[in-house]
Amino acid sequence: MPDNQTQQKWDKAAKNFDLMAGRGAETRWRPFKEALFAHMEGKVLFLALGTGLDISTFPTGKNISAIDISPRMLQQAEPRIAAYDGTIEAQVMDVHELSFEDNQFDQIYTSCTFCSVPNPVEGLKSLRRVLKPGGELRMFEHTGSKYYPFKPMMSLMTRITEKMGPAMNRDTVANVTAAGFELVEVNNLFLDVVVTISAINPE
Amino acid sequence: MDNRLFFVLGDLLANLAVGAAAAWLSWLIIDTGWNMWLAMVVAMCLGMFLGLLLFLPLSLALGAMEVMIPVMLGGMVSGMVVGMWCAMAILTPAMAVFVGAVCGLASINLVWVINNHVRGSYTPKVGSQ
Repeated sequence: MPDNQTQQKWDKAAKNFDLMAGRGAETRWRPFKEALFAHMEGKVLFLALGTGLDISTFPTGKNISAIDISPRMLQQAEPRIAAYDGTIEAQVMDVHELSFEDNQFDQIYTSCTFCSVPNPVEGLKSLRRVLKPGGELRMFEHTGSKYYPFKPMMSLMTRITEKMGPAMNRDTVANVTAAGFELVEVNNLFLDVVVTISAINPE
Repeated sequence: MDNRLFFVLGDLLANLAVGAAAAWLSWLIIDTGWNMWLAMVVAMCLGMFLGLLLFLPLSLALGAMEVMIPVMLGGMVSGMVVGMWCAMAILTPAMAVFVGAVCGLASINLVWVINNHVRGSYTPKVGSQ
C-alpha cells in the first residue's frame, strides 16, 4: 500500500504542478538533465515521473520503466508519455515498496525526487534492491547547503514547502552513501544546492 | 553561474527589484526612534520574507533555487542595512530604495562568486560525509 499521506499530497499538487515546477526551472535545468539522461542504456527505471516534464529531456528510442506515487500525476503525464519517441511504461508505485524483482535494472534515474520521499535512506535502499550489482544510480536533485547563510535559509523554507511538496534541506549525497551506494561523482551545478549524483550499487 | 543572457539579466534585475522593495518596506516601518539592533533584526526578517514572497512569481520565469537563494539573501541584507540606517538617521525613500537596490546587486554578485568556487564535480572520499 502506498503511503496515503504522500500520495494525497502529490495528487493534490498534480493539477498545478507544471505551473508550480515553473518553466523557468525547467529551462534552466534542461541542459544538465539532457546531459545526465543521455547516459541511459540497458534496462532503465525512472522515478518519480510526475507530470512527465522530464520526458522531453530523455534520449529517444529508450525502453523506460517509470513510477510515481501519484495516480493523478501520471494521468497528467499521459500525453507526454504518448508523445515520447520510445517506450515508457508508467506505474503507480511507492519507492519504499517497489514491486519489481531484485537485481532487475541496469540503471536508475531520479529527478528532484529525494527531496520528497518521506524516508529517503529507506527509499534508496529499496532502489539498491532492484538495481543489479554494479548498476548505476544517476540523480538530478536539489539538496540542502552546508554553507552559511544558505543552510538556515533553506531550513526555514523547508518548514513551508514540505507541507505542499518538497523539503529544501535534505543531505541527499549523505543519504546515498548511508543507503550503501558507492559514490562515483557529485557535480555541483548551482552552489551545493542543485547537484547531479552518480553512484553504483557495489558488487 | 548560468551564463545565458536571459538568466544573467533576469537574476540581476530580480535581485535589484527585491533589494529595492525590501528597503522601501523597511523605510516604511522603521523610524529614527527605533533601537538599532531591533530595527536590524525586524528589517532582516521582513526583507527575507519579502524575498520569499517575490520568489514565487519570479520563479515562473527564472527558475527555482537559483532565484530563491539570492532573492532571500538580497532581501535580508537590504532590510538589515536600510533598517539600521533608518534607525540611526533620516533617510529619504529614494535613497532607501537606491541603497536596497545596491544591496540586492551585491547579494547576487556574492552568490555568483561563491557559486564559482563551489560548483563543479568531485569524487567524495569514503567516509567524508
